[in-house]
Amino acid sequence: MTEPIVETRGVSRTLGGAGVAPQTILDDVTIDVPRGQFVALTGASGSGKSTLLYLLGALDRPTSGSIRLDGVEISELDDDGRAEFRNERLGFVFQFHFLLPEFNVLENVFLPMLRRGVPRVEAEEHAYDVLALLGLADLWKRRPGQLSGGQQQRVSIARAVANDPAIILADEPTGNLDSKNGALVFDVFAELARAQGRTIVMVTHDASFAERTDRQIVLKDGRVVDDHTRSAPPRAAPANGPQG
Amino acid sequence: MKAPAPRERAFGARTVLFVALRQLWDRKLLNGIAVGGVTLGVLTLIAMSGIMQGFQEKFTRSILKISPHVILYDTELRPEAPLLARHRGGFVAARVAHASPSERQARIKRPDEVVRALRQLPEVEAAAGSLAGMVLIEYGGKTRSIDLRGIELAQQEKVTPVSQYTVSGSFSTLAIASDGLAVGSGVAQDLGLKVGDVVHAAAPGGQPMDLKVVAIYEAGVPPVDKARAYALLRTAQTLLGRPDTIGRIEVRLRDPDDAFRVSARVERIFGYDAESWQEANANFLGLFEMQNMIVSFVIGAILLVGGFGILAVQIMIVLSKQRDIAILRSVGFRRHDILRIFLLQGVIVALVGGLLGDGLGKIALLQLAKLKVHVEGLVKSDTFLIYEDPAFYVWGVLFALVVGVVASLVPAWRGSKVEPVDVLRGQIG
Repeated sequence: MTEPIVETRGVSRTLGGAGVAPQTILDDVTIDVPRGQFVALTGASGSGKSTLLYLLGALDRPTSGSIRLDGVEISELDDDGRAEFRNERLGFVFQFHFLLPEFNVLENVFLPMLRRGVPRVEAEEHAYDVLALLGLADLWKRRPGQLSGGQQQRVSIARAVANDPAIILADEPTGNLDSKNGALVFDVFAELARAQGRTIVMVTHDASFAERTDRQIVLKDGRVVDDHTRSAPPRAAPANGPQG
Repeated sequence: MKAPAPRERAFGARTVLFVALRQLWDRKLLNGIAVGGVTLGVLTLIAMSGIMQGFQEKFTRSILKISPHVILYDTELRPEAPLLARHRGGFVAARVAHASPSERQARIKRPDEVVRALRQLPEVEAAAGSLAGMVLIEYGGKTRSIDLRGIELAQQEKVTPVSQYTVSGSFSTLAIASDGLAVGSGVAQDLGLKVGDVVHAAAPGGQPMDLKVVAIYEAGVPPVDKARAYALLRTAQTLLGRPDTIGRIEVRLRDPDDAFRVSARVERIFGYDAESWQEANANFLGLFEMQNMIVSFVIGAILLVGGFGILAVQIMIVLSKQRDIAILRSVGFRRHDILRIFLLQGVIVALVGGLLGDGLGKIALLQLAKLKVHVEGLVKSDTFLIYEDPAFYVWGVLFALVVGVVASLVPAWRGSKVEPVDVLRGQIG
């Protein structure tokens, strides 16, 4: 696949307006991510990495520039169109687990599928399979409140993966975990990238995790200041990963 | 591992329902309170409507069973103009010594023809001429004025069947005894009358007579039972000093609701003042209308409070669920879905409240009907008069639904406006 799955062209995002001095969060960001790449977005607080992630997640619209995800120009989509796009092609993992407290683990995982129109029984089975794959099968009945932080985050990953998204976006998924659980969660991502060839964009503060990805993009004050792809990442290269 | 393909088209509605129900159930206490508010409103609606309408229905029925639907009075609507007015504008020589009201007693002219003509009208079931007047009766040293009705028994029975309320004696004796008198139970009690007693009766301008009580009736309408007495037409005419006079013609209609229309028509045809039962009881019916309005306000206020309950609870839930809304939106729920989730919750709360209110309302009506209360005013009863209309229950739920939808509009709209990015930024700082 030669066409990049993520293409941004001159993306800027300005916040504020009415009375408040506009603040440029992202300034002219142009990046391409090939399919199957595991990308780490790093930078100091306020560098704009989360904003970029939300833009890539079709949760927000750029002030200027274009964003093309999996062949779709998302800055042209309306609110419903972006919701549908998120539902069908994107998977999110946030810093805090962000699971719905009223639903059990299985329900949290299959809800996006249900929204997409997958029959309940199939959605349940698939969600269970995904949980099993992540070693969470025996937790399926529990409510999020009954899980440890690491477990919650792995369930979030299961939910993100269950809809078979084109891109998985993670916003400091290990930021709220102790180092042991953080490593465990990171390994799940690494495994998803390696074994399933998933495209993953992950915002992280943790340099040791960032180094174990295929590529590291460093932002500073809303601009890309460093972008390097490792020719031989410390983990095995995915089958359909980037070639150099 | 490939995710299964979407196949269901009604996914939105089902998923929305799934989420809405689960969130509702998870906040049983809060939503229960909101349900309680609606239940109370609907319960009040049903109980109040049942009591009010029961009383009014009973009153109307009592009025209708004992009163004619239309009464034709002896007042001419187009009386002949006085002599002077007739010659106005022309030359006339007249000397008016002393102008005083005519002593001629009002009467319905050719009453038999009028009665016959009335019976020809398609709406009319029966009509009977009679004479009414105030009469003083004396018994055992007590004097009391009564509203005496001189009737042709057989015909009058077709219009106002009083004889069925006889408690002692026999109404039919009235037809054969020219000095017979049927009195209401209230009159009898007042004077200590029993069947067979003879009272002395007199009226100004008439011939005093001794009348024998042949029947005592109790129609259950105190204004009638405490004031009215029946005698034969001829007897009344003699007693009141108005021989051969018919002072009123009472009419029974096939449908009492036609009374207003028929009375207007009868006035036009015969030129005499006619009055429908609604007009005759306008003071009570007007009172009922006022009463109903007040009750509607009370019910409206309670339902409104119920609505505010939903509003308060829903706003609270929406505000505390910003994060959950952001999650739902980020996994692909649309604004519309969020709106529907909260609207649906409002509707479900209202529906449950409405149905509960219906059930409790039913029980309340059953219990109220058993409650012993002695009413003796416009109508006489020993229990609460309850009227149960299936429409109450339908209205109850309908009102609840309207309240639920309206009350949850603002919270739902508010929820649908939540921007996931704002929530996520807030969380991350």
